[in-house]
Amino acid sequence: MKKRILFPIILCLFLAGCWDKKELNELAITMALGVDKIDDEYHVSVQVVVPGEVSSMKGGSGQSPVTLLQAKGSTVNEAIRNLTKVSPRTGYFGHLQIVVIGESLAQEGITNILDFVSRYYEIRSDFYLLVAKETTAEKILNVQTVLERIPANSIFNILHTSEHRLSNTRAVTLAKIIVDLEREGKEGVLTGIYIMGDEESGSSKQNVESITPTARLKMDGIAVFKEDKLVGWLTDEEGKAYNVITDQVKTTIGTFSCPEGGKVNVHVSKSTSKLKSKIVDGKPEIEIDIQISGNIEEIDCQIDVTKEETIKMLEKTYEEQVEKNVNQVIQVVQDDFQSDIFGFGAAIHRSNPKEWEEIKSQWDTEFSEIKATVKAKVNIRHFGTVNNPIQENIKD
Amino acid sequence: MFLKKTPLNLELQENIQHIKKKLGESSDIIIREIRIGKEGTFKVGIFYIDGLSNTPSLQNFVMETLMIDISISQIENEESPNSNLMKALKDYAMTVGEIKDVANFEDLFTALLSGDVIFLVDGYSDGFIIGNKHVIERGVTEPTAQSVVRGPRDGFSENIRVNTALIRRRIKDPSLWMESKEIGRLSKTNVSIMYINGVADDKIVKELHSRLDRIDIDGILESANIEEFIQDSQYSPFPTVYNTERPDVVSAALLEGRIAILIDGTPFVLIIPALFVQFFQSSEDYYQRAILGSLVRLLRFLAFGISLLAPALFVAVITFHHEIIPPALLISIAAQREGVPFPAFIEAVIMEIIFEILREAGLRMPRVIGSAMSIVGAFVIGTAAVEAGLISAAMVIVVSITAISSFVSPTYDIAIAGRILRFLFMGIAASFGLFGIMVGLIALILHLTSLSSFGVPYMAPIAPYSASEQKDTFIRMPIWKLLSRPKYISKNSVRQKYPAPTRKD
Repeated sequence: MKKRILFPIILCLFLAGCWDKKELNELAITMALGVDKIDDEYHVSVQVVVPGEVSSMKGGSGQSPVTLLQAKGSTVNEAIRNLTKVSPRTGYFGHLQIVVIGESLAQEGITNILDFVSRYYEIRSDFYLLVAKETTAEKILNVQTVLERIPANSIFNILHTSEHRLSNTRAVTLAKIIVDLEREGKEGVLTGIYIMGDEESGSSKQNVESITPTARLKMDGIAVFKEDKLVGWLTDEEGKAYNVITDQVKTTIGTFSCPEGGKVNVHVSKSTSKLKSKIVDGKPEIEIDIQISGNIEEIDCQIDVTKEETIKMLEKTYEEQVEKNVNQVIQVVQDDFQSDIFGFGAAIHRSNPKEWEEIKSQWDTEFSEIKATVKAKVNIRHFGTVNNPIQENIKD
Repeated sequence: MFLKKTPLNLELQENIQHIKKKLGESSDIIIREIRIGKEGTFKVGIFYIDGLSNTPSLQNFVMETLMIDISISQIENEESPNSNLMKALKDYAMTVGEIKDVANFEDLFTALLSGDVIFLVDGYSDGFIIGNKHVIERGVTEPTAQSVVRGPRDGFSENIRVNTALIRRRIKDPSLWMESKEIGRLSKTNVSIMYINGVADDKIVKELHSRLDRIDIDGILESANIEEFIQDSQYSPFPTVYNTERPDVVSAALLEGRIAILIDGTPFVLIIPALFVQFFQSSEDYYQRAILGSLVRLLRFLAFGISLLAPALFVAVITFHHEIIPPALLISIAAQREGVPFPAFIEAVIMEIIFEILREAGLRMPRVIGSAMSIVGAFVIGTAAVEAGLISAAMVIVVSITAISSFVSPTYDIAIAGRILRFLFMGIAASFGLFGIMVGLIALILHLTSLSSFGVPYMAPIAPYSASEQKDTFIRMPIWKLLSRPKYISKNSVRQKYPAPTRKD
């Protein structure tokens, strides 16, 4: 008797199954999402993989490896739902690699996009956000790329490598930007992406058929946000200095001049930075302590690196260079943007919480006047596989 | 069971008639009437079954002695009272080893049909059973189902005497005891229980006896018939009785305190109690170096996991949990699935069923067509199905790795359990995804822990946990570190006293 009851119960269990089942060939695997705002309407562009074209097994039929689906709506979510009007498959956002925000929308504010992408259950928080510099997100996602056939992967990897090898970009994930926006005394940044060359021809296959594509994507500058609005751009050199201050340099290179003209290149293998605040005469001040160690990678002047004084001299020069760059970026941000992207406020909050409570309300004006002292210490360790510059040995 | 036994008649002719009638005048019964004594005084009947008895030895040692060698006067001198003729014959005339008296027809028939020779004398209501069996046998050959790279190559045969001898040759101790019974009303199969007295648990021996005594069936043709009668859980896919055709495995089991059941007519010997981990242990684990033995054993557990879960995990992941596949792999699998008309679950079931058909066909069909079928099978299951767009290539890989993994198991029985449960898990995976598989695994573990084999918990020594026995469960420590016998099986758990190999002090 017990068994007779048990069996139907077990069968009932299976009735609950399958409701969220999705076969792979019913999904439109979305790798990139682009959002623009035109005339009070959100324009959403999603880059969807055409699996048969990407797979290495079959040659494919020469179609584009991805396709761009577009729809508009009064909210981001509505626009995404409207995609079903143009797509035979349901969008699947679990493997989203990048989200590109159009520059004009970024200037208006990005909170509603961030809310959607962080709330939607399918989307993870480990994709990168970028701002389309001087163009729309749609146009960025409309460029074919070589090496990585899926443009979203290409952008993701460019940003990842440049952040690790050059450090003048900043790969910002959803989790990071939300933390920056919510934290007191810290503002957010995103990296800009820019189309080099002919925007219009980027979409066609001819773009990737020649050795030199007519349109290429490039990481360009760091977008400075104040609250959730884009307020301006940092140049590459400023971006690098920004990364130095915020202790985000993985590896990079430093270039500085020799005393008698010519340049020296240092591969920075380690760079750390500490932000400290102290109160002088009732006013907060910031101290930035930077420690850099690296190896010489290129010398383009007449110096003798076998001598210790020379190394000392080079270290000194580079220290000055770094201090100059850092001071300059602080100056630019203080004067032009009044946005505390460095986290000075957070540093004050940490070490002088009482004072922070007092200046919190007018922090924006306080920030633009705050005094920051930079101290850099450089340590050059090796100078590569040769000692003195080749130049020296060449007979005139 | 205990019928009244029919006594033999005094008249030889009547006995002959009775035997002929009972056996339906079968043509392989040889009845030979001879006369012995000086003047042919005594009429004697010799009965045997052609093919079961050893005819040359019957002629050399029984008939020749009776008819030619014996001076009948000797007998006549001895036999003043008639009843002593039988004793005299037994004492002086029968030049054979095994001889028994018989007084009723039931014993007579059992002996006759077992291949012994029956000897009756006219005028006497009892006779002799002369042990003269001659069994046609295959001889000791290499076991086919459980092969090893390093280790003894002899395997059991169909003759129970050969089998017991193979075990006795390995354990030469008087405490190796053997108890025999006859099971099967018609087949009267000889079943022997072997165990080491003092090492095996008496309670288990007693329990085994009582279970064997309860069997009431007409015939036992294979050890599986006995296994089904004595196993603990009838409807579990997991076996609770171990079987092997390797004498070294049986000997090792006996030394651990297990009990072997040998059945006449089959090379498969049963071993009880049988625990879950035992099915993953090959005798070769102990013949290879300990490190390799341990790694290979771990590999077997892994392979069992794959054979049980691989298709289920694959189905669950590609229908419910796309996020856990790396993007590049997801796109690659998606590309393969383009144009495949079936859902992943149906695809997996189709492939598994095709594979099961191929496997079964491979087992049953005549050997000579084997190569033809393997070509067709490999082609259909591999290339053609993918090229026709019916099945995705990834699914072929998953099913293949599953199939190969299921053959890693050293015993066929546990692989069967994996095969059955695999389909169940695929169904759960297709309905509930990984959550379903988790629940299914929990249910499986509950089931496994509820099993027992002759009172010993099936999952011992994992649950109930025994730290000291972990030395020989998932891994195998060097043999000199295995100091004790499995404590859930043997009551005498000391195997050796000194751990390290002898060294100079």
